[in-house]
Amino acid sequence: MAVNKSENTIMPNLAYERELNRWRNVLKIFTEPEPKMGHTPRVEVWRKNKSVLWHYPAKQRKFEIPLFFVYSLFNKPYILDVSPKTSVIEGLTNLGYEVYLLDWGTPGYEDKKIGLDTYIDKYLRTAVKRAIRHSGAEEITLVGYCLGGTIASIYASVADEPIKNLIVATVPIDFSAFIGPDKWAEGMRNGDLNIEHFIDVYGNIPPKFVEGMFRAIGAPIYFTNYTMLLHRAHDHRYVDKWRRMNKWTLDQVPFAGEAYRQLSTDLFKDNKLVKGEIVIGNKQADLKNIKANLFVISGSRDNLILEEQSKPIMDLVSSEDKTYIVVETGHVGLALSGLFAKIVDQWAASRSEPLN
Amino acid sequence: MPDNNKTYDPFETLHKFSLLWEKQINDFIYLWTNNNEFVKAANLGTELHSRYLESMKKNQEALASVLNLPTKSDVTNVANLTIQTEEKIEALEEQLWDLQDSVKVQAKEIEGVVEVSKDIIKLTKQLKTELVKTKKELTDTKNLHEELQEMKFEIMKLAGFKEELEALRSLMEKDPAHELTGAGTSK
Repeated sequence: MAVNKSENTIMPNLAYERELNRWRNVLKIFTEPEPKMGHTPRVEVWRKNKSVLWHYPAKQRKFEIPLFFVYSLFNKPYILDVSPKTSVIEGLTNLGYEVYLLDWGTPGYEDKKIGLDTYIDKYLRTAVKRAIRHSGAEEITLVGYCLGGTIASIYASVADEPIKNLIVATVPIDFSAFIGPDKWAEGMRNGDLNIEHFIDVYGNIPPKFVEGMFRAIGAPIYFTNYTMLLHRAHDHRYVDKWRRMNKWTLDQVPFAGEAYRQLSTDLFKDNKLVKGEIVIGNKQADLKNIKANLFVISGSRDNLILEEQSKPIMDLVSSEDKTYIVVETGHVGLALSGLFAKIVDQWAASRSEPLN
Repeated sequence: MPDNNKTYDPFETLHKFSLLWEKQINDFIYLWTNNNEFVKAANLGTELHSRYLESMKKNQEALASVLNLPTKSDVTNVANLTIQTEEKIEALEEQLWDLQDSVKVQAKEIEGVVEVSKDIIKLTKQLKTELVKTKKELTDTKNLHEELQEMKFEIMKLAGFKEELEALRSLMEKDPAHELTGAGTSK
């Protein structure tokens, strides 16, 4: 017995089965095809340039008012339908919502002159009109995620279309707060760091630069995702989730040049959204024009968008029915875990005209 | 007391150390880059890179123009034409929607008019039936009126007759002897 004890202290116990599973799963990452994303059944409703409006029919329609998702321009929207069981869209269609998603597509060099105003006035507005007509509903609920929330808010402030509810999650509204190095922000605001010429030459911001920008703001050196994978590779569910997340993170899209210029100048540098100075078409996008019911969600562990960036919308809109919540999650975790579907349902169910 | 059943995970320690190293490296980079000098240097680098790329593009365009080769700018122009066409089709489609909607509204209005017309026809039929009945009743009333007139005339005749009889009776009652004398004198 004493011998065994001393052996144990020298040679730690290894769970051989677990180690086998770990390396089997690691090997699978290199040998098996990438996991399939976007499994929820959908139909194309409308297409313009590279943008597509998708309709995800409800399993059994329980609400009159459909949900219209506006995703960020930085990434691909399949994070909302990333895997069975944790898919936000699947969750909502199972709960009885008709869901529409505007996929902005991947801009090419020819789209370099598409600005945020064009995206809102000529793409989003038309897509909302189509969704309303397609669904047969008289009103619609806009759901914006990340920069999609900013776009949805700007649109809601100039919309003629009947928007009953506006839901925004991890949304940057007030750009005076910035999570990255403060001297960079200062340099961009006072003109020491000017990327106008860079945008002109490139046309669009290439995906690698977009990725580099996010890395630079958060963590320029990032390798703990791989050590975490090694640590938990024995768990095949974790490996599957990791692979999906990894694929999505690396799957960046180019950012249309003019839109990026407006984002960095009008929004980041001049903070025009909070001041109500953005112009879309011939209308001034003042958030006080928003009268729709408003629901704002922030993540307490969000390392990209701070609460101070989202919360000001609460005081800027004219909505009488407005709710703000903070969820114990990160920037992407809200969508990746599928938690977003439950949160949206809890708030939207009573505001979406339930069908009897 | 150590737990003999707990198994050793070699990667747990690695992960813990990697978190520490990553944070230290990123903190170092943050301190290294978060200053005006770095920002200005980054700006200069971006500007130089942009100028270099710009001159490359200009040369490429010039060469392509000489060789009569299409460039990305030409493709952009063609693509923009396609987008313009898409927008025109969209506008037409929306006009079609408006037309469809107005046709639907008109159809509904026509349905409403048809419903009202049906009611009017029904009402007219009812009125016609009632008119026929009224006509018949009017004829009956006329006949009745004529009969009443006849009866009135008869009654008037009877009244005259009665008056004559009355006069005759009063004459007879006044002077019955005179009547008889007169009769003897004439003899």
